[in-house]
Amino acid sequence: MRMFDPLKLISYHFFQNALIGGSIAALVCALIGLFIILRKESMIGDGVAHISFGGIALGLFLGINPLLTALIISIIGVLLINYIRRKGLAQSDSAIAVMLSIGFSIGLILISLAGGFNVDLFSYLFGSILTIGQFDLILISSLGIVTLILIIVFYKELLSITFDEEASRLMGIPVNVLETGLNILVAVTIVLSIKVVGMILVVALLVLPGLTALQFNKGFKKTSIISVIIGVLSVIVGIFTSALFNIATSGIIIFTLTAFFLSAAIYKHLE
Amino acid sequence: MDEKEVLIDIEDLNVSRNGEKIIKSANLKIFRGDFVGVVGPNGGGKTTLIKTILGLLPKDEGKITLFGEPIESFNEWKRIAYVSQESNSFDKDFPLTVRELVSLGRINRGNIGKKLKPEDWKRVDEMLKFMGLNDFADKRIGHLSGGQKQRIFVAKAMVRDPEILFLDEPVSGVDPQTQERFYMKLSDLNLKTRVTILDVSHDLSAVFCRMGRVVCVNREVNVADISDENKFSEVLKKAYGQHFRFVFHEHMCEGLFEDV
Repeated sequence: MRMFDPLKLISYHFFQNALIGGSIAALVCALIGLFIILRKESMIGDGVAHISFGGIALGLFLGINPLLTALIISIIGVLLINYIRRKGLAQSDSAIAVMLSIGFSIGLILISLAGGFNVDLFSYLFGSILTIGQFDLILISSLGIVTLILIIVFYKELLSITFDEEASRLMGIPVNVLETGLNILVAVTIVLSIKVVGMILVVALLVLPGLTALQFNKGFKKTSIISVIIGVLSVIVGIFTSALFNIATSGIIIFTLTAFFLSAAIYKHLE
Repeated sequence: MDEKEVLIDIEDLNVSRNGEKIIKSANLKIFRGDFVGVVGPNGGGKTTLIKTILGLLPKDEGKITLFGEPIESFNEWKRIAYVSQESNSFDKDFPLTVRELVSLGRINRGNIGKKLKPEDWKRVDEMLKFMGLNDFADKRIGHLSGGQKQRIFVAKAMVRDPEILFLDEPVSGVDPQTQERFYMKLSDLNLKTRVTILDVSHDLSAVFCRMGRVVCVNREVNVADISDENKFSEVLKKAYGQHFRFVFHEHMCEGLFEDV
């Protein structure tokens, strides 16, 4: 087993990049995820993650950075899900199921045309934060910071439409605009987290911190803070453990998140 | 008639849902400072009437005017607050404290994307105190008793400093004493802030004891002043049927005003 000195690890450039990129993604996931859970739309996270696979495949096929194509395809996908729901063409879960399958199947076709599965594709499926490149780091950081600012700016309105849509409408809050905006932010958040835990596990990074935080019966502000701490801490623990013991980072991150969730659930049960 | 300011003016209003006529040629005027009970049998159209006035449901024909402005072009929603029938059926695990919930009431078109100001929070705390909720300010809303829950939604509505407050059955499912205390708070609000209140209620004695006018809704919409006993029982009969008798004893209202 390959071993690194933990202190020496931090001095490595690749490791610093991983910590920065991973923490930003975890931070944004933890905040957006809380809204998604409370809106009972966790499945949209999984749906968008699968749609993003189509985008990644398109990028690999065209020779463009796959995160950029994934971003575009995911946003289109989430807007289509929204459209199908608003027009009453299908229920929310069916709309997600349909879009998920379309995105994934297109991805499979493109992957075959591009010459089949390779290492590059695996890094998007299962994450590879320790090998994150400079461009990806800049992309993740800038998208993450923009998303974070938007959530903070529209925090009270997003909370209001999540709690009571009809009352919010009457209060003059532009509910449709904010809902669409939130969905776009979900797509962005998922894409910027793909490098951290991979598209298959991204929904866990989105949902588990919030679910854990909800066990503590606090108000919204405190729940958000707990959610962020748990998300970021799990990613940091995951990155260190994975570098020290050479185990898949995404696996350790989600395992840590699950451990937090179970402990919190037991705590709530005992209380 | 004295010159009272008309806040809501409804003329020949017809509303249908799923092809069925719910409201038939209704005419109604609500004046500033009114405390109006909206009564009528279940399915008679009370909620439909309220939601149509608020523009949440479409009308077939007729005219609705709010503050002198036709509903179609009315956009001063800041002047109106509404507590819906469904507000009490929120997710009990929703992570909101009482203070956080009430503060959401301060959102309006003018402060979207901006932080609430210290004066907003001051208003929130004043309203919590007025509604007797300051001891629970940091409690989760899902952990409150039935009576406290209704009051948080009224507080959230009232913290907007509205000129008209619409309440749709805010007291369903709580014990009579709690109801009584709730109506006492409402009269208090009506007297102190001059807010116009329209309250959909099944509690006829509360309407009789506390409010000034009654609107009876059963497809038709009829209005009476509570002080006009003959008219009052006539419109109740129209809504509930000819065999309906509202037996009223003076002592029913006794003791209700003690705590105010």
